[in-house]
Parts: sequence; C-alpha cells; structure tokens
Amino acid sequence: MQRPQNRYRRRRIYVRRKICRFCADKSIVLDFKDADLLKHFITERGKILPRRVTGTCAKHQRRLTNAVKKARIMALIPFTSGHALKD
Amino acid sequence: MKLRHYETMFLLHPELNSEDRDEAVEKFSNIITEDGGQIVNIDKWPLKKLAYKVQKQTHGYYVVIDFGAKGATIHELTRNFRLDERVMKFITTKLDDEFDPEEAAKKYEQKEQKEDVQTTETSSDSSEEKEE
Ligand SMILES: [Zn+2]
Repeated sequence: MQRPQNRYRRRRIYVRRKICRFCADKSIVLDFKDADLLKHFITERGKILPRRVTGTCAKHQRRLTNAVKKARIMALIPFTSGHALKD
Repeated sequence: MKLRHYETMFLLHPELNSEDRDEAVEKFSNIITEDGGQIVNIDKWPLKKLAYKVQKQTHGYYVVIDFGAKGATIHELTRNFRLDERVMKFITTKLDDEFDPEEAAKKYEQKEQKEDVQTTETSSDSSEEKEE
C-alpha cells in the first residue's frame, strides 16, 4: 500500500532505500575476524552505524553488532577513537 | 560424548619468536585433542598491528583454531589461556551445536585452492620483510 502523500512528506533530498548488504550478497560471511568488512559499518569514532544509515536488515544488524563487539574485544577494531592506534 | 563445533582465537605476545609461538599453539591444540576433540584447521596470522594497545603492546600474533570439542574442554582451554602469559587476549565462539568434521573441513579446502593461486602470483616477493 503506497500513499500518494508519501512523496510530499519526504522533504529532504531523495535517498534511495538501501537494501541489506548481507541479504543482497549471500556470499558475504559476517565474521568478527574480518575487520576490513566491519570497518564499513562503524564510524570514525568506532561507533556502530545505525540501520537507518547502512540499510542493514534487523537480523543482520543483530549479527553485525555481535561481530563488532567480538572484534573490539580482540583488538581487531577500536572501542573508541580515543585509544585507537593510528594506521 | 557429543562434540560441538567451536572456534577459538587468541593473541600471542609480539616478542615471542616463531618457536615459542609454535610451542604455545601446540600446547593449546593438545588440550583440545587430548580431551577427545578434533582439530579442523589452525590459522597462524602474521604479525598484525592492534586496534589499541594491549599490555602496552601495539602488535601481536593472532591464531585461530577451528575444532570440535566437548563443552568441558572449553573450560580447560579457557583456564589455560588465563594462566598463560604468552596469551594477551582470547575468545572462543561456538559455531554450531553439531560437529561434522568433513563438513567443517570443506571451508578450508576451497580457501586453500584460492590461496594457492595467490601465492604463486606473489611468490617473487621476498617474504617476511618488515614494513615501516
Ligand atoms: Zn539482511
């Protein structure tokens, strides 16, 4: 069901509804050891990007969050930029 | 007793030499196998820069062991990780409640083939040269 008013409500610049990267490409394994992959989903400060920004679905966001947390524990990605070692 | 599928990753101190590291890996794999566990794969990463300092160190050697074991083995493994000063960090994840060694091994057969291609391409590079 699409409402005709919908277009009016969206005042901001049109943003394409992103689809979940992990649903789109089933070959991507969400592995906490893959820091290069996880880096796409965290901010410069090391915070996890929200779903509304990345377009990740609820199921994969949950798994992503777990992966990020494990990767942080293992010093593969920083907890925060404050303690991070520069590249 | 039933085996479950686990993966354990640990971080070894950067000042350990290659023999020390092998010895540490050997010790932990023995804990698994002596308790009836089965190792599928051991992946020793080259020296890697850490995301933040750990025990005042900026680098370390990661090791990943993919294996099947009983739950009790994990307790023993964890206890040993805590006691061992060579280990700076560790994490064990249960991958599955069921362990099928053949199924688990498949993942690495495919990877090996891919890596073979890569290594032949870059074999001219002199190995283990330190950057910076
Ligand atoms: Zn998804």
